[in-house]
Amino acid sequence: MINLHGVSKKYGRESIALHNISVSIGAGEFVSVVGQSGTGKTTLVKLLIAEERPTNGKISIGGWDITKIRQSEIPLLRRQIGVIFQDFKLLPNKTTTENVAFALEVAGERTKRIREIVPRVLDIVGLNSKSRNFPHQLSGGEQQRVAIARSLVHRPKILVADEPTGNLDAINTHEIIEILKKINSFGTTVVLVTHNREIVNHLNRRVISLSEGTIMSDEEQGKYKLT
Amino acid sequence: MLTSFWRVIKFSLLDLGRNFSLACMTILVLTLLLISVNTLLGVRLITQAGIKVIKQKIDLSIYLKPSVTNNEIKILEEKIKSIPEVKNVRLTSREQALEDFKAQYQDQPEIIAALSEVGDNPLGPAFVVKTDDPKDYEKIVLLISKPEYANLIEDKTFADTQTAIENITNITARIQEFALAISFLFGLIAVTIVYTTFRVAIYTERLEIGIKKLVGANNWFIRGPYLIEAIILSTISLGISLGAMWAATRAIDPYFAPLLGQANLLTNYLSSHILLVAGFEYVVVLFLTIFTSAMAMRQYLKA
Repeated sequence: MINLHGVSKKYGRESIALHNISVSIGAGEFVSVVGQSGTGKTTLVKLLIAEERPTNGKISIGGWDITKIRQSEIPLLRRQIGVIFQDFKLLPNKTTTENVAFALEVAGERTKRIREIVPRVLDIVGLNSKSRNFPHQLSGGEQQRVAIARSLVHRPKILVADEPTGNLDAINTHEIIEILKKINSFGTTVVLVTHNREIVNHLNRRVISLSEGTIMSDEEQGKYKLT
Repeated sequence: MLTSFWRVIKFSLLDLGRNFSLACMTILVLTLLLISVNTLLGVRLITQAGIKVIKQKIDLSIYLKPSVTNNEIKILEEKIKSIPEVKNVRLTSREQALEDFKAQYQDQPEIIAALSEVGDNPLGPAFVVKTDDPKDYEKIVLLISKPEYANLIEDKTFADTQTAIENITNITARIQEFALAISFLFGLIAVTIVYTTFRVAIYTERLEIGIKKLVGANNWFIRGPYLIEAIILSTISLGISLGAMWAATRAIDPYFAPLLGQANLLTNYLSSHILLVAGFEYVVVLFLTIFTSAMAMRQYLKA
C-alpha cells in the first residue's frame, strides 16, 4: 500500500529531516510512527500527502509513484488519503455538518450525495447528535472526531493521523484511538504518528521508531522504546 | 460541473462579504482609473472635433492681378487642381470680388467712396482653395511662388490659421499627456489596492485554503472564488464608470454643441461605440484584477 525506498528529505544544504528511509506498509495495517520532536515524523506525513517532495528516493502509494507527482494530480491523491492533525484544522464558522460537507463540496460532489454521506460518517465517529454545533461548542475530542469524519468522506484507503491526541486528555485520547481502530477494522490502513508512549504500548501493533531522520527500529508488535 | 460552479460563486460572495470595505476600496480605485481613461477619450474626441471645425474654416485665398486673362486663370486653376491634396478650388471673378467687397464694407461709406474715386474695378479675381489638411497648403504656396506665376498673383493669405492649429494641437497634446499620466497613476494605485485586497482576503482565508488543499480540492476550487471576485469587482467598476460617463456626456454635450457645430458629440460617440469602449476597458480591468490576484495567490497555492 505504502512504499518508501531510499527516501531522504533535506531542507537547504545542512538540515536533513529524513535520511535514506525504506519502509513498506501493507493494506489494512495499523502502524504507529514514533519518535521525539524533530526526528522527521511530520516530514514523513508531508511526503505521504505530497505537501513536500523527497530530495532522493521513491514513494509509491497503492502502486502510484508519487515521487514526482504533478500539481494537478495532488487533489486526487489527497482524496485517497485522509489526514488528521493535532490542531484539528476545522473551520470555526461552520457547523459540524458543514465542516464535514466542505470536503465533499470542494471535491465537486453532488448535494444529494453529500446529504447521504455526511450523516453516515458522523455516525461512525458518534457525532450525529452534535451535527449543528460549531467547533467552539465542542470538546477537543469531539473536534478531533469531526476532523476524522471529514477525513473519511472520500472513503480513503489510508488514514494518516499526525499527533491526533496531542491536545487531548486521557479520556478523549482513548476515544480517538478507539475510533481509529474501528476505521482500521473496516480495512483502512492507519498510520498514526505520535510520541504518546501509553497509546503505542496499548495498541500493541506495528511500531516504526524514528531517530534523527532514520529508522531506528521496525517491529510488528512493538512497544515505545524511546526515552 | 454546474454544482461546482455555483459553489465557487457562493465562496466568492462569502469572501467579498468578509472583506467588504476592501472590496469597496478596490471598486472605487478601479472606477477612478476607468473614469480617468474615459476623460482621456473625451478630451481626445472634443479636441479632434474642434480641430476638424477649425480646419474646415481654413482656406487659402490667392488674389490675382486685375490684368490676368481668362486663359491664364484657367491654366493656373488646372495647375492648382493637379495637386492631389487639393479638395476644392473656387474662383471669384472680378465682378464678384467687387460685390463681395462692397457687401463687406457697406457700413463704411468712406471706403466705398474711395472705391468710386478709383473708377474702374481695381480688384482682381481670386481663387479660394481648400485641402483636407492645412499642412498641404504649403504645396500650393510653393507652386504659386514659382517665378512664372509672379506676374499673375497679387497676394495670398493663410499663415494665421496655421499658427492657430499648431497652438490647438500643442494644447491638446499637453492635455492628453496629463490625462495619460493621471490614468497611469490610477493604474498603479489600482494594482496596489487590488493586490492588497486579494492578499488580505487570502490571508484571512488561509486556514480555509489550507483545508481545501488538504481535503483534495482542485486548483479551480481554490483559485475560482478569487477569479469570480475579480470579475465581480471589474464588472461593478465598469458599470459605475460607464454610468458616470453617460451622465457626464449628457451634461457636457450642450456646452460644446455651439463650438463644434454638432449636438451630442460625446453621447453619440458613446452610443455608437459602447461595445468597443466597454469591451476594451473590461478586458484591461479584468486583466489587471486577474493578474494581480494571481500574483497575490501564488505563494498560497503551492502544494
